[in-house]
Amino acid sequence: MPIIETRALRKTFRSVVRGEGLGGAIGALFSREYEEKVAVEDVSMSVEQGEVVGYIGPNGAGKSTTIKMLTGILVPTSGSIEVAGIVPHEKRRQNARNIGVVFGQRSQLYWDLPLRESFELLRAIYRVPRDRYNENLAHFVEILDLDRFMATPVRQLSLGERMRGDFAAALLHDPKIVYLDEPTIGLDVVAKEAIRTFIADINKRLGTTVILTTHDLADVERLCKRIVLIDEGTVIYDGKLERLRDEYGIHRTLVVHFKDPQPDFTLAGVEIEHREPPIVWLRFDRRATTAEALIRRVTERYAITDVAIVEPEMEDIVRRLYREGYAKPPAHVPEA
Amino acid sequence: MLVALEPYVQFALKAMAREATYRFEVFTSIGSLAVRVYLLRVVWVALYARNAAPHGVELHAIITYSAVALLMGMILDIDQTSLLHDKLHDGSIVVDFMKPISVPFYLFADGTGEVLFHAALIVPSLALALLIVHIDVPSVTVFGAFIVSFFLAYFVGFFLNFTLNCIAFWTLEISAVQLMLTWVTDLLGGGIVPLLFFPAGIQQAIVALPFASMFSTPLLIYIGEIKPEQYAQYMGLQLLWIAVLAVVATVIWRAGARRVIVQGG
Repeated sequence: MPIIETRALRKTFRSVVRGEGLGGAIGALFSREYEEKVAVEDVSMSVEQGEVVGYIGPNGAGKSTTIKMLTGILVPTSGSIEVAGIVPHEKRRQNARNIGVVFGQRSQLYWDLPLRESFELLRAIYRVPRDRYNENLAHFVEILDLDRFMATPVRQLSLGERMRGDFAAALLHDPKIVYLDEPTIGLDVVAKEAIRTFIADINKRLGTTVILTTHDLADVERLCKRIVLIDEGTVIYDGKLERLRDEYGIHRTLVVHFKDPQPDFTLAGVEIEHREPPIVWLRFDRRATTAEALIRRVTERYAITDVAIVEPEMEDIVRRLYREGYAKPPAHVPEA
Repeated sequence: MLVALEPYVQFALKAMAREATYRFEVFTSIGSLAVRVYLLRVVWVALYARNAAPHGVELHAIITYSAVALLMGMILDIDQTSLLHDKLHDGSIVVDFMKPISVPFYLFADGTGEVLFHAALIVPSLALALLIVHIDVPSVTVFGAFIVSFFLAYFVGFFLNFTLNCIAFWTLEISAVQLMLTWVTDLLGGGIVPLLFFPAGIQQAIVALPFASMFSTPLLIYIGEIKPEQYAQYMGLQLLWIAVLAVVATVIWRAGARRVIVQGG
């Protein structure tokens, strides 16, 4: 049985139409003209216990709105939603006990209090038994290296320290599901890696289900076997990360260094992606030709000094998808 | 039951701890109280030197009234639910809705913790005030009635502030309204001048407003202007205002929370 299930989830917001400038602002106080804005058009997905799902999409695609509906703080306009057997917005507080949430841009720690006291407060809020609390905290302190700043007020922590604190805070009550909304935003490489290791660890050790929204595809590549891609409120791809790479990452780039500048170089059937004489980037479909054949065709006519093959970056694949849409088979639920 | 209350007790304790971190504010609040007590004494002494005691309120009574009003203000002037306004302003209210707690009860607990911390400051402030002015000590019965009435006044203030802070669900910004409310409660609530000194016609109207339930009623009980046989009437009015404001606060809170939940803030 899936732990998260949404069907035809839809959310529209009503906002007041207002004219420009001061006149418009004042006008809006009196006239009430509304427009409907669709934030989430149609999201159906089901997630099994223990999965780590990358929920990705461009800004304004509806990711945060979906997460808010999953946490129960937004009521869907239509469609159904169930998280661990509960309809979140109907039983917000009961649902809250099952979930942990981390927002990269917003802390749940208490600003003026030392980190340790925020944890103590969360223990009371979630009614975590004392020994379980001590055990979890000891573990988090160790793997997130919190010891140095447990007594520091949160407002004095660096972003990296605060995020580590926020992760511990979200997981103290052993939630079944954690929603991570851009958890690595603004962090340096070392801190990002620490966070990724932590997520992988809790997923492996406790079987925690993780929904991760991020713009950093390195997070996704490192953590998620499955991704759900959303654009304009609709799921455009749902499946294995590798499959996306296989199906969509069909292009490779061959980088050729010529001995002499070749400003007019062209090759039949091959797209010139970029040119910076004496270097040319050739984009080719790996199903139509091979790198070997291509190199042969080039060297038959020109003297070259070096070649390199560039594999498609996940980021490029996703960027193309946003731009061109997923024209392949319709989004489908992955094999369980 | 006790387990269910624990988070809220913790919220209150943490709020006290938080207030205590702003040590400078603690000293300035005690210091400014002493200055205000001194200034009010100067003003009343000067006024009484040239005029007969209005409505039979003697100089010692008016000085007691002013000093006790200032001490009460250390609690009643606190906006216990300013946290709500801050959270609406920066959007962090969303995080609280994701926790298994009642958000209004959380705000109440936090405000109470804040108030309790400031209540503890009344003792040193009173000691300091006593160096400057003489404060009349009423009988045990009168003092008991004063404490009960003060307690009711606290709830009138709580629901007024809560309602006001809920306005931020729609406007995000409420400082202007808030400033106005402070002035209105001080003036129309009898925090500065006893309402007895207002012209009779206006007085009737003002006494019926909720603001009088905050400062005026407990203070007039303290200086004996409200007699024991009138206690029921005045405290009844305080209770009535608590009930009315609690209903208003609940309605506006629900509408505001609905706005966050359905409209996404």
